[in-house]
Amino acid sequence: MIFGANQWKRGTIGTCASNQQGSSVKRASSTGRGLSNSQAQQQYDPHTLRSESAKMKGLFKPKPRTPVDVVRQTRDLLMFADRSSDTREGKREEKMLELCKNIRDLKIILYGNSESEPVAEACAQLTQEFFRENTLRLLIRCLPKLNLEARKDATQVVANLQRQQVQSKLIASDYLEANIDLMDILVSGYESTEMALHYGAMLRECIRHQSVARYVLESGHMKKFFDFIQLPNFDIAADAAATFKELLTRHKSTVAEFLSKNYDWFFEEYNSKLLESTNYITRRQAVKLLGDILLDRSNSAIMTRYVSSRENLRILMNLLRESSKSIQIEAFHVFKLFAANQNKPADIVSILVANRSKLLRLFADFKTDKEDEQFEADKAQVVKEIAALEPRERT
Amino acid sequence: MAAGQEQEHEPRKLQYPLDSTSYRIISEIGVGVSAVVYKAICTTMNSSVVAIKAIDLDQSRADFDNVRREAKTMSLLSHPNILNAHCSFTVDRRLWVVMPFMSAGSLQSIITSSFPDGLSESCIAIVLKEILNALSYLHGQGHLHRDIKAGNILIDSNGSVKLADFGVSASIYESNSVRGWYSSSSSFSSSSLMLTDVAGTPYWMAPEVIHSHNGYSFKADIWSFGITALELAHGRPPLSNLPLSKSLLLKITKRFRFSDYDKNKKEKQKKFSKSFKDMVASCLDQDPSKRPTAEKLLKHSFFKNCKGTDFLVKNVLQGLPSVEERFKASKILNSITTKNDEEDDDGDDELKVKHRRISGWNFNEDGFQLDPVFPTETNGAKQVTFGKDSFIQDKGGDSSESNLSSPGQISESASNLISPIDHSDEIGGGVDREPMLGSLMVLMKSLEEQKKKVSDLIGLLGGEEHREMTTRADQMVQVIERLRVELENEKRKNFELEIELEYLKLQVYGAQSPGA
Repeated sequence: MIFGANQWKRGTIGTCASNQQGSSVKRASSTGRGLSNSQAQQQYDPHTLRSESAKMKGLFKPKPRTPVDVVRQTRDLLMFADRSSDTREGKREEKMLELCKNIRDLKIILYGNSESEPVAEACAQLTQEFFRENTLRLLIRCLPKLNLEARKDATQVVANLQRQQVQSKLIASDYLEANIDLMDILVSGYESTEMALHYGAMLRECIRHQSVARYVLESGHMKKFFDFIQLPNFDIAADAAATFKELLTRHKSTVAEFLSKNYDWFFEEYNSKLLESTNYITRRQAVKLLGDILLDRSNSAIMTRYVSSRENLRILMNLLRESSKSIQIEAFHVFKLFAANQNKPADIVSILVANRSKLLRLFADFKTDKEDEQFEADKAQVVKEIAALEPRERT
Repeated sequence: MAAGQEQEHEPRKLQYPLDSTSYRIISEIGVGVSAVVYKAICTTMNSSVVAIKAIDLDQSRADFDNVRREAKTMSLLSHPNILNAHCSFTVDRRLWVVMPFMSAGSLQSIITSSFPDGLSESCIAIVLKEILNALSYLHGQGHLHRDIKAGNILIDSNGSVKLADFGVSASIYESNSVRGWYSSSSSFSSSSLMLTDVAGTPYWMAPEVIHSHNGYSFKADIWSFGITALELAHGRPPLSNLPLSKSLLLKITKRFRFSDYDKNKKEKQKKFSKSFKDMVASCLDQDPSKRPTAEKLLKHSFFKNCKGTDFLVKNVLQGLPSVEERFKASKILNSITTKNDEEDDDGDDELKVKHRRISGWNFNEDGFQLDPVFPTETNGAKQVTFGKDSFIQDKGGDSSESNLSSPGQISESASNLISPIDHSDEIGGGVDREPMLGSLMVLMKSLEEQKKKVSDLIGLLGGEEHREMTTRADQMVQVIERLRVELENEKRKNFELEIELEYLKLQVYGAQSPGA
């Protein structure tokens, strides 16, 4: 820790550093204030940035800022931004600008920039200070008040913080568990064209933590995703779909638990809203994701249940008949589970038997673009299963 | 046209309608493998003109994530030199990306139609400066464009220049390699700011992108930027007369030097200023770390006293055929020439015109010799040397470079065979497929023979492991020496055979005459 702090001191931060594009980067030696010569080792050390405004004002000697200082200043400015909209316009503008610069500084400490690399100890100090108080909540709440560049910076800062370890602990996870309602704000971001991509990206990073993912899965929010994925704005819909997929695939045990507890409503929605959507891209993504879910070993109980339903089979057979090759192929990967099921219910068998010749004809010239041995093997297996089916009496 | 004016400060202020019925398509202005670009009118927005890129999602099934990323990138970037999307939405299986209509189209199509020998230096400086502004912004945002080329630089009627097509762009904050940060957050190394997948269009690709296992970063864009500068100066990228394949590119990256440029092109020698050559040479440094950043390039003397974009309007845009006309012309050309156009897979350019020069038909005038890019004053031109570093250790490299080291014989046959299709008369030069095909087959055979011989030689030479000792030059000398010996042998054999033939003739003659 002491070593780390010393190491950090080699690089210091001006009162508010770096303009938008880092173009005001100065050589440490050229500023000549508060820095010894040994600090000039790196020509473009971002930690030695001084802002033009600070220099011009010359009101106070900029003292070196530690990562902790940057976080604190950011927090103060966020609190200001959060409470005020009635302050004098000019002063407010200035403070908002300063806030944006501070967020940029946080990002540079965490990611480095093209000329220098991040310092692990500095990142750890920043992270610790950031989560020691409620900075994340403030940042999320104030995000709509920031300009586009600052929003992007903030998103990247939040993303990075989720992965930072302090004494080999992910302290972001602890913080979020205690402030889990922040997820409500992030999820509702999809309802705002302006904020969706920023909040969406933050959300996806937060659900890397299992406890957070569990919360989102079990909250009422899950239902909303069925609509978010079909929003007309493609970029937002696609972002929501990526989050949805992450929620349903990342943490195996949590997903399995969620699906078995919520089986009925979930698959009813999944079938009717997604697999039978009129939107091509929704159907395609949904059938792909369904395959991923059902083929996951940890979801075997759910899979068994899914492939025993006559209604599910009907939907998948319709998808098999689509004119889109991509959908057909993905549908096949789910359909094969119905056929391979060794304990097919009678109604499943009778549907397969009734459609036997059609199915066999379909599979006869069913090919992937590239040669795919696994696919051919699966197909052969399915054809064998279907060809061997005996019609049974309904029970 | 009004739609082309960007709203710098409030990028998403104007919400364009998200349904296809609000747009009326006027004409097709570009086509790629899985995308078509239309000029259209937005009927609900004062009939403003827009460009719509319609991407066939069913065809681009391989990586849907790329499409998502492109859409996201385009909606989150905001810079006057970057082409933003107004909005994007799906129309059945197509994704419609609605963008400002850049009425003068891509620089590549402008050059093809009106400046086949390249633009003037003043125009090049203007364009490149705008692109550097875009790159500086992009890189500051942690994005790599990864496909910088004239085909992705769009010009509007007012001369404004925008970088387009983020189809293969990447963010260092999002790539998989960054995942590594999670596990090793204590040791952020510079390599974490690296990407490792191959992307881009081959002629413009930096060597480290082609050898992507080593990772690459922002400097790869700088390389492509340098190649683009050459493209603007000469009307096409260097080496574009060579057939396109990754393996060939490996050779190119090893042997690509400025001194090669001046060997071949006899006519139309263009002179370039020292500062231009210096600027390009710095971008084409084999060592990425030695290439300047976009920021630094902006301060290069080449961009001092750079004229304003209205200069482009007067000197480039005036009298230019419209985007639609150019597209039609290129379509007709394509139908003649591009049957074996195998790898033109950068299908996403807005206003894209298929690159005839990638077709392989242009494997023309100079056969295997390298494209003359800086025809004059080699002495003045900086040498961009390749192959001094890591690539030498590349095993595959040895054979490929030797392949190129015996160009003399091939180029003879090549130019004999193909010279009728010199690119200077591409348009009129009726392409007669049958003889062409025959010629190409012969050429291919000859190449294969060459290759076999060379690889035999490599086999002879390659036993030793001490590659560091034998420098590349030495190897080349040896190869050339051996080929020369072989040639001598062939000549001798030939001579002997000729003697024998004469002898036989005499005998025949002698045998006949007594009878006569």
